[in-house]
Amino acid sequence: MEGKVPTIPLKKTRRKMSKTSLEKKEARDAWIMMSPAIIILLLIAVYPIIRTFWISLHEMVLTDPSSGYPFIGFENYVKIFNDQRAMDSIVFTLKFTVVTVFFELLLGFGAAMLMNKAFKGRGFVRASILVPWAIPTTVSALMWKFIYNDQYGLFNDILTRLHVIDSYQAWLSSSSGSFMALVITDVWKTAPFIALLTLAGLQMIPKELYESAKIDGANKFQIFLNITLPLVKYTVIVALLFRTLDAFRVFELITVMTGGANGTESLSVYAYNNLMKFLDFGYGSAMSMLIFAVVFLISLIYMKALGNKLTDF
Amino acid sequence: MKRGKMKKLLVTLILAIMMVSIIGCSGNTESSGEASNGEGNEKVTIRFSFDQGVGEPTQKIVDKYNESQDKVHVETVILPQDANVVHDDFVNKLASGDTSVDVMALDVVYVAEFAAAGWLEDLGQYFDQSTQSRYLPGTIEGATYNGKLVAFPWFTNASVLFYRQDIIDQLGVEVPTTYQGWMDLEEKIKDLDEIKYVSNFQAAKSEALVCNWVEYIWNNGGDVLDESGSPVVNTSNNVEATEIMLDLVENYSPEGITTYNEPESEQVFLDGKSLFIRDWSGFWNSANAEGSKVAGKVGATTLPIGPNGEEPHSALGGLDLVINKFIDDEHKEAAVDFLRYMASEETQKEMTLISAQPPVLKSVYEDADVLAEIPFYEKFYGIIEGGKSRPMSPKYAKVSDAIQRNIHQALSGETEVKTALDQLQSELEELNK
Repeated sequence: MEGKVPTIPLKKTRRKMSKTSLEKKEARDAWIMMSPAIIILLLIAVYPIIRTFWISLHEMVLTDPSSGYPFIGFENYVKIFNDQRAMDSIVFTLKFTVVTVFFELLLGFGAAMLMNKAFKGRGFVRASILVPWAIPTTVSALMWKFIYNDQYGLFNDILTRLHVIDSYQAWLSSSSGSFMALVITDVWKTAPFIALLTLAGLQMIPKELYESAKIDGANKFQIFLNITLPLVKYTVIVALLFRTLDAFRVFELITVMTGGANGTESLSVYAYNNLMKFLDFGYGSAMSMLIFAVVFLISLIYMKALGNKLTDF
Repeated sequence: MKRGKMKKLLVTLILAIMMVSIIGCSGNTESSGEASNGEGNEKVTIRFSFDQGVGEPTQKIVDKYNESQDKVHVETVILPQDANVVHDDFVNKLASGDTSVDVMALDVVYVAEFAAAGWLEDLGQYFDQSTQSRYLPGTIEGATYNGKLVAFPWFTNASVLFYRQDIIDQLGVEVPTTYQGWMDLEEKIKDLDEIKYVSNFQAAKSEALVCNWVEYIWNNGGDVLDESGSPVVNTSNNVEATEIMLDLVENYSPEGITTYNEPESEQVFLDGKSLFIRDWSGFWNSANAEGSKVAGKVGATTLPIGPNGEEPHSALGGLDLVINKFIDDEHKEAAVDFLRYMASEETQKEMTLISAQPPVLKSVYEDADVLAEIPFYEKFYGIIEGGKSRPMSPKYAKVSDAIQRNIHQALSGETEVKTALDQLQSELEELNK
């Protein structure tokens, strides 16, 4: 509010005069106050990224110190695009991201619409829908791994009872089965996240808008299209942004459930293998930088879609 | 005026706290120093790092050592029970030449990697040949890299073929010693409702698969690397062995065997659904524990062999003790003394009794107290004696990864066995360059 006052020309001149003393001091104080935060941000966020980028320009295999870790420019990056395994993992990761985020949006949005209605036990439903989200990924991955078990799995039990399948299947032993199992598990775990954020967005829509729409004779579909959707859009995009970033970096789910077998190795899993298992820090860092770049790009695209709405939340 | 001062003070205070916490982060890498025992005699303090899995018994053993003498004091640094975390922790320390840890308990498969990187002290000068010959040959072999003893075995483990003694008795047959022999029982167990599968092992894409697969090829006269360290994967013996494994996966094992690690396979056996299971020695206890449907019905034998195999070999696991090469001579001397203690007959016996981890010293398997406590060891000695180490390669992580990928593809029917082994051979050749 205060910022709007100086638009009056008279005050503007006065402001210019005082800028030397008061405003300068304020600006300096602000920098001093922010400096701990900035220093910490530089140390824990910016420095590791620069450092990783620097390492990615070197041939650095920790078990081979005799190489002297020479500088090799962008060779590690070129290697990624000549490495079939890396390409496969990129394709898998993109496929996984698109499919999971799509289903999460569908289910999460649907659930939010339902929960937005007034009904008995609404509080209980809202709390219980959050349970999957609250369970650590590693734990839920282990749990689902057992659900897909070929001897004792609940999944097999339900499907045989419904006569969908004749005999128990080993779902995690084929490519298509593994992919499906991973998608179901991820959607189960993270659709509640989208539901919760969307619900928050839905509740911010003023009731008056719906009332006046009804008085104007709009049907339910029109209300949804013209009131609900435009007003909840930005909340949903923010939720999608988080989900896309998370899905693209999928790691624990895959390590626990398949270990990357049957063509389910994600880019993060492969990067981890290179870094921590093969101790190939140069190549692994290049892959990490690639993940960083893609994630950054995804964020930019979403930010663009949001315009300046992101800061309004 | 006063407020301005307060503000400045506050800012300075916050800044100071920030700085302290930043410096504090790097303050934990204190090198092991000297500790006084209170009587003025200087004790050398060494730090011993190992994982939580054997935390309690090891702490007891270390405490006993500390009480027993006045020159060396051992501090323990306990890591989480996760082979990867332990590996990463040691790598981070050693790669930077850190001396905060003197003795480490290292998984046997990483010995070659650490030795090749030049991180391990040569122990050949402290433990002569006659000393070495008192330990299980497979474990000494696994602690030797390029002809040098770079680690000393601490405890070991080997796989065992556990089978249903009651079913074998019921069928009135001898315990088979070949894969074919076990497959032939398929016909006979069909009439028994209870047993659904002949075979059961671990074929998920993991380290367990590597252990299983090398056993198939060893037991059919093959190997992964020859004596000079060059890969010899796509030999006819190995192809035959892998085909036997595939046959077992497709026709004699649970449907999901290519997703099984130890827990999943054990569940099937404990439920009485499979005739045999290949598992680590510790499973003997779980199989006979309360709640197991097969308690008291389990027999143990060596792994089967293939048509070209001569004698059965089990894959060895376990931990070796290694000394950080970067520490000074005084600490090295203390570390060697501690290693001698850990390898001694008394400690080996004590550790076996309180931890139930198989010892590496041969004589412990004949010890009356040990046999009274763990009668299974009488049978087990015959199995672990033939134990072999997984391929010793400085790039073991990559070797293991290549085996896991290619063999898992062959077992899940995505690739022909021969093609998979050719691919594995060329990948290993590439690594050897």
